[in-house]
Amino acid sequence: MDNLLLIITGSWIALPLLVILICNLLDKKTGKSWALPAAIVVSIGQMITTGLGLLQLGLTKSGFINFTIFWNVNDFEEIARSAWASAFFSVDTLSLVVMFAIGMVSLISVLTAKKMNPDKALNFTNLLMVLIMGMNGLAMVADLFSLYVFLEITGVASFILIALYKDKKGLEGSFKYLIMSAMASAMILAGIAIMNAVTGGVTFSHISGLFASGSSLHTFHAISLVLLVAGIAIKAGLAPFHGWLPDAYESAPASVSVLLGGIVTKMAGVYAILRLAQDVFINAKGFNYSLLLLATVSIVYGAVAALKQKDFKRILAYSSISQIGYIVLGAVCGSPLGFIGAMLHFFNHATFKSTLFVNSAALESQVKTRNIEEMGGLAKQMPLTGTSSVLALLSTAGIPPLAGFWSKLLIIIAVWQTGHSLIAGIAVFASVFTLAYFLMIQRKVFYGPAEEKFAGVREVKGGLAVSQVMLSVITVVMGIIFPLVLLFFQTRGMI
Amino acid sequence: MNLPILLLLLGLMVVAAVAAVMIRSLLKSAIALAALSIVLAITLFFLGAPLAALFELSVCAGLITVIFISAISLTGNKPKEEEEEKIRERRARFLKLPIFLLIIGVFVSLAWIANGINISGISDPAAPTFQTFKNLFWNMRQVDILGQVIVILAGAFAVVVLFKERDQA
Repeated sequence: MDNLLLIITGSWIALPLLVILICNLLDKKTGKSWALPAAIVVSIGQMITTGLGLLQLGLTKSGFINFTIFWNVNDFEEIARSAWASAFFSVDTLSLVVMFAIGMVSLISVLTAKKMNPDKALNFTNLLMVLIMGMNGLAMVADLFSLYVFLEITGVASFILIALYKDKKGLEGSFKYLIMSAMASAMILAGIAIMNAVTGGVTFSHISGLFASGSSLHTFHAISLVLLVAGIAIKAGLAPFHGWLPDAYESAPASVSVLLGGIVTKMAGVYAILRLAQDVFINAKGFNYSLLLLATVSIVYGAVAALKQKDFKRILAYSSISQIGYIVLGAVCGSPLGFIGAMLHFFNHATFKSTLFVNSAALESQVKTRNIEEMGGLAKQMPLTGTSSVLALLSTAGIPPLAGFWSKLLIIIAVWQTGHSLIAGIAVFASVFTLAYFLMIQRKVFYGPAEEKFAGVREVKGGLAVSQVMLSVITVVMGIIFPLVLLFFQTRGMI
Repeated sequence: MNLPILLLLLGLMVVAAVAAVMIRSLLKSAIALAALSIVLAITLFFLGAPLAALFELSVCAGLITVIFISAISLTGNKPKEEEEEKIRERRARFLKLPIFLLIIGVFVSLAWIANGINISGISDPAAPTFQTFKNLFWNMRQVDILGQVIVILAGAFAVVVLFKERDQA
């Protein structure tokens, strides 16, 4: 059993590294033709290993697994207690759920790249592997400084991915993201440095212990928290720090949009908030209240701004801002129920936002435009795209019995129970807006009068079709078995 | 560590920083920036933060300089006259900056000395508990080493994606 666990945990970093080595050491032509299949193997491997990891957590009822990545440290116990060590990775249910989502979205992105960006197969795969290692590391770290290191890796890989084609638009979107992200990094790093100076340590357990003990807050604690919240809010794209997000999503190549919208911004920003809210600043009122406010603003702003957009991808970007608001709301409302809702909404959002970005790629490849005003009546020619898009949007808007309904319900109940009834009301109301802009998309793109010029349009085949079916099945099945998943997590003491 | 060496290092840092801004050639400017990082790394090492020094050295002096130099080697120069004019204009505009910084620096140092803060006292409070540098680096922070390896990998791919194809064209 121990050996199996070693292989599982090791594979989260070793497998992508192996793919990079193999694809780049082979001659160029073979490397290029092997790259995408190898990336598919890594993604599916990650889904399987994280599934096994969840099973292991459920069987042992231990709550978390600690492991070293290079070599075992002699005095492991002593180092684990140290306030200053980062000698091992640690995974719990939250880590494994988001890592499963990483595997899933990567798989979808590779399938999209196969159809949309086959000319950049090798570079795309190399960067995707770096991105996967960065995000996996992010999900497994147990101290603030390592969190920052892996945030940077995720950031660097995604800047280059956005500018993969070096066209003007891509470079512009990438540059905006780079500048905003650099500011965010500077703030986060300064926040961590101040936190280290006043608390004398950087590990999650050390800092949360200090906040839990109720000792009086230093002014520097507050400064550090302000810097951390602002930096992470920029990375997450919460309003009013969202300026870079629509441009980055719009200008990226189709397969990279799937990645960005599906998982990358959520890992870089929202996962950090989830982790800090659960493990570190659980008793820091300032952290929770400021993010509660930002999340509410994001929910409303994203939903209203999406109504005015014409570009399919831009609508999805604004919708992401709104949905990220829901996840953060659940994470910081201060009740375990909200946190569970946030964790599962994270996963559900990865599913349905990837579906919608794949739909956008399908439309782009068949109709050659992303402007929704120019489309119309496409449901007849592209039934698969139309159906999966309807399912994804209903899930986003929170219509039962799809997956998005349950997680949104948990979040709103939790926010109501913790006494923020006004915010819960706003969240419900904004859901109606979500439904409004998605119905608008559906009417303009897939229904309504059929345009003459689209008579020759055919449904997509291959990778895109497979992705759409797979994600739709996950959305529906997750919706149906959701109570069982919750029950499993709860009886096994995993949440 | 004693004050004169620290002041010397700080002075060197200021010189390197001013040089990085003022030097005409972009290549030399990038090298001046690397020199600044190296001096900063030495200072950090003496002040009892070997880890910060190490990262400063490998990332700022190493990786970033490589990326700068590869970018500079791919771009052309402006015509001589235009460049001269630009530099004159820039000198006039930015000469105030080092003077301003120098005055602030003197004030801060005076305030520092007046308050009698002991420089050797400013070091990581946790550092003495780790016996050796080897233990500190290879055991305590092995996650960061992995992170650093991946960062360098990402930097290499950035150069490949953004700069390589221009050579073929």
